[in-house]
Amino acid sequence: MSNAAAHAYLNTRVAVMATRLFDPDTIGQLSQLQLPELAERFGLAALLDEQLSARTRGRAIEQTLIQVLLGELQVLVRPMPATERAVVLAWGRKYALFNLKTLIRGKLYALDQQEIRDSLFDLPTIIDPPDQELLRAENVPELLRQLEAGPHRLIARQAREAYEQRREPFALEAAIDQRYYAGLARQVMQFYDTNLHPLQQLIGAELDRTALLWLLRFRFSYQFSPSETFYQLVPSMRLLHRERLLALVNVEDLAGVLAALPPPLDALLTECRTIIDVQRHMGRHVAHAAQRLLLQSPSAVARALAYLMLREMDLYLLFALIQGRLLNLSTEVVDIALEIIEPTCPWILAPTGGPAARHRAATA
Amino acid sequence: MPRPRIMKHVRLLVLTEDLPQASLTLAQTESFHPDTRPPLEPALTGLPGRIYRDTYYQARSRLDKIAKLIAVPEDPMLDPALDQVRVVEPAELAQLNDWLGQIWQKASGYEEDLRRLDDQERLIREQEAALANFQHLQIDLRMLRNKTRFLDFYVGIVPRENLRQLEGAVGLADHLLHVYMQRGDQSHVVIIGPTGTTEAQLSAVLNAAGFQPLPIPEGLDDDPQQLRQDLEAQHLTNRIRRQSEYERIAEWSTPFLERLVAARRTLMLAEPLVALDPSVRSSGHLVHLAGWVPARAVDDLTARLSQSLALPFDLRVRDPLPAERKLVPTVATKNRLLEPFAMLVQQYGIPEYGEVDPTPLFAVTFLLMFGSMFGDVGQGAAIAGLAWWLRARLGRFWLFGLMAGLASMGFGFVYGSIFGYEEVLPALWMSPIHDPILMLKIALAYGVVFLTSACLIAIYNRLVIKNWWGALFGHHGIVNLIFYLALVWGGLHLGRGESFGTVPTLLVGTTLAALAGYAWRHLEAPLGEKILVVFIETLETVIGYISNTLSFLRIAAFSLNHVALSIAVFTLAGMMGAFGHVITVILGNVFILVLEGGIVMIQVMRLQYYEGFSRYFGGEGHAFAPLKLRRGSAPS
Repeated sequence: MSNAAAHAYLNTRVAVMATRLFDPDTIGQLSQLQLPELAERFGLAALLDEQLSARTRGRAIEQTLIQVLLGELQVLVRPMPATERAVVLAWGRKYALFNLKTLIRGKLYALDQQEIRDSLFDLPTIIDPPDQELLRAENVPELLRQLEAGPHRLIARQAREAYEQRREPFALEAAIDQRYYAGLARQVMQFYDTNLHPLQQLIGAELDRTALLWLLRFRFSYQFSPSETFYQLVPSMRLLHRERLLALVNVEDLAGVLAALPPPLDALLTECRTIIDVQRHMGRHVAHAAQRLLLQSPSAVARALAYLMLREMDLYLLFALIQGRLLNLSTEVVDIALEIIEPTCPWILAPTGGPAARHRAATA
Repeated sequence: MPRPRIMKHVRLLVLTEDLPQASLTLAQTESFHPDTRPPLEPALTGLPGRIYRDTYYQARSRLDKIAKLIAVPEDPMLDPALDQVRVVEPAELAQLNDWLGQIWQKASGYEEDLRRLDDQERLIREQEAALANFQHLQIDLRMLRNKTRFLDFYVGIVPRENLRQLEGAVGLADHLLHVYMQRGDQSHVVIIGPTGTTEAQLSAVLNAAGFQPLPIPEGLDDDPQQLRQDLEAQHLTNRIRRQSEYERIAEWSTPFLERLVAARRTLMLAEPLVALDPSVRSSGHLVHLAGWVPARAVDDLTARLSQSLALPFDLRVRDPLPAERKLVPTVATKNRLLEPFAMLVQQYGIPEYGEVDPTPLFAVTFLLMFGSMFGDVGQGAAIAGLAWWLRARLGRFWLFGLMAGLASMGFGFVYGSIFGYEEVLPALWMSPIHDPILMLKIALAYGVVFLTSACLIAIYNRLVIKNWWGALFGHHGIVNLIFYLALVWGGLHLGRGESFGTVPTLLVGTTLAALAGYAWRHLEAPLGEKILVVFIETLETVIGYISNTLSFLRIAAFSLNHVALSIAVFTLAGMMGAFGHVITVILGNVFILVLEGGIVMIQVMRLQYYEGFSRYFGGEGHAFAPLKLRRGSAPS
């Protein structure tokens, strides 16, 4: 059976689902809507319950949108063979890692069990098999022992150090994120057929974005050394591969890093002056890559993943809009968040030290 | 036709004070399946059991964790009689939970100590492996132990997964990384670099990578034997410490072991109320409970509630409404012989309430088909014998193997075949190979009977739920059945060399037209789509029934195949000498048993599921899972 025949169902599904994606006109229209109209259009009843606080409503909406995304993911993985399913699920597991970080942070800071539970997202079992042992840990040493006994044992040492020495889970959360992206890259490299190249393009674009942003943040916001920065990065299988990253971490300023980037990133980011600018441009770069693959790629799994990534971006935009309305932010701020207009805020300066940098300075 | 067990819906109103006792009584009857739908009365919105439930789960979790460290003895009162069952009040449960929390805090400390010992043990082993490696090197290893004037040395282990990234990172800090040994998921490395300003950077990177330094002991070069003894002494110290830790745990836990056993019993008694929590609603002091109970158990339930509840209560019993059919649980087959077949049926689904339980029909037809496709006395005896021999491993499923073997033996006598030999036993009827055409005709006839029975069951299932139109015009309904039988009738005429026949033709035409008309009326679509869909569905009806009937030819095909395989085996055996003949016959029979036996089993399952179940068995029911008192220490 040809590849097209084997994936006819999946391709059809993706094509149907892709009609839900927002186009620029849709985003423009949505930005004009108020909360009741948004609630009606997207079936978000929680928005209308004014008895709840803005925070509670926002949380409920966030949960709903995640469930929408992961529900669609479950539909798409159903007809996939094992290898394809594994890479899509690996992508979806970032939400399980949100929960893991929340749990670890909650235990490290001795938050109330119910408060931790309320902060966790309710996820499908296929993404986040319930780990009741972690949730039931009553103290930090017990949590650490559970981590050491489970699939997260590699980060357990860092967790232990965070607890015993620094009590700052930044490095631990960075390790969790690093392992997520490294795992995703490994999943892509399992392929050897016509799916490999499109997946490399798609996940490669995402890894390029992540590697560049982390490089800039760790080097210039948190003031990490080149070696510490490099260790935290995940080399991409496209533009920002290992050797390139080794060279880039040694560059001393933002402009120098951007100038040293390979094409097309150098042209794409030539006007950027801040990390936020870079973030916005790289986000669009990934979106363009995903759109191109969705429209043109013969690989069903790459198209499915591209759809999910674009859908996630749309749902984040929707969430930003709703949050803006709930918090009564100005129209201009909401439009900037929706990327309808460029930011005009004069306080966006060169990046300064963040919490990790201050901590490191204090303990050096 | 086996009738499903009749169920009743019960609604129980009790006062809040009596809720724990009510839950215990319901659990003791083992006949109450909770209905989790909220009540129709809008005032009943309270969730009285939430705090109790949360406390229970926390206590349960703590007890399970304690039990992993301390061997809690089995409860001698695992099956409490009525007079030993008592209500666990919320205050008692909360107190128990607090006490378990204190015990767990202490126990967690002991677990942490044991973990530290495990870690030390692991490090000693890594150190041994590293030093065994070092001893073969021709360099002054004292250099590795200290910093020199110009160079820093770091010897240790790092997770293999982090190695590549670490290598790049230390390179950026002007250090070199060398891997001198891989052991499991750990890499043993030496990192060398200049002393000075990069030390702090490197330290952060090593921490991030999970680097664990391995100390290089004194005397590594001078006295390897002494070094080995030192390491062995460290192992021994560790073992002693571990043993001492276990003794401390035992000494600490002995005074309250009985109390832990009592705690387990208390939680067992509290569990029914927790299990009921999703079904419980309240308003003020009034609590509402609803569930499904087998009709024959209602009187016993009423009597027990009257006996055990101190305060007034109200119990209403009614028949399930038609709309509730999907919610009513189905009581599983309790027949020991049918149980393995019930397991196979459940792979497809659980019968809905009111639906005919296909298990008995499945069992009979399965054995008939399997036996006829794999008829041999010797091979059947081998299957039955194997099932008997492995009955401990197979569990309840061994009876399935036994019956399949007996069915095979039965048909073996009919065919006169024993281990492929057809001259030894006289056939009660004949060997399939002697008249293949007759075998094919019988298989076809069997298929017609099977499909007709399936349609009749489908019709019955719809009549039971008063789905008249579905019974008449639905898939595999009355009109469908008439069409099929008319088709068979006409087919018989053709088989005899006659014309299809006027009456069969009229019947086929009329019924197809009726089905098409019914589909046309119920389809909402544009005209073109309607025509296309109705035409294709009608065509599919014709093709489907013909192909489904012909599908049963495989019964004959496999019975012939079975004989043909035996012939092939004997042909091969005939080419061998005496010893080779015996070996070939034995191996050939094993081959037939394993390969053909497996294939026949799959083919029979396919016929059952696809030609049978898809016609009359929805399988969308759910199992009857009554509230029970859980025995032993099963985890929550």
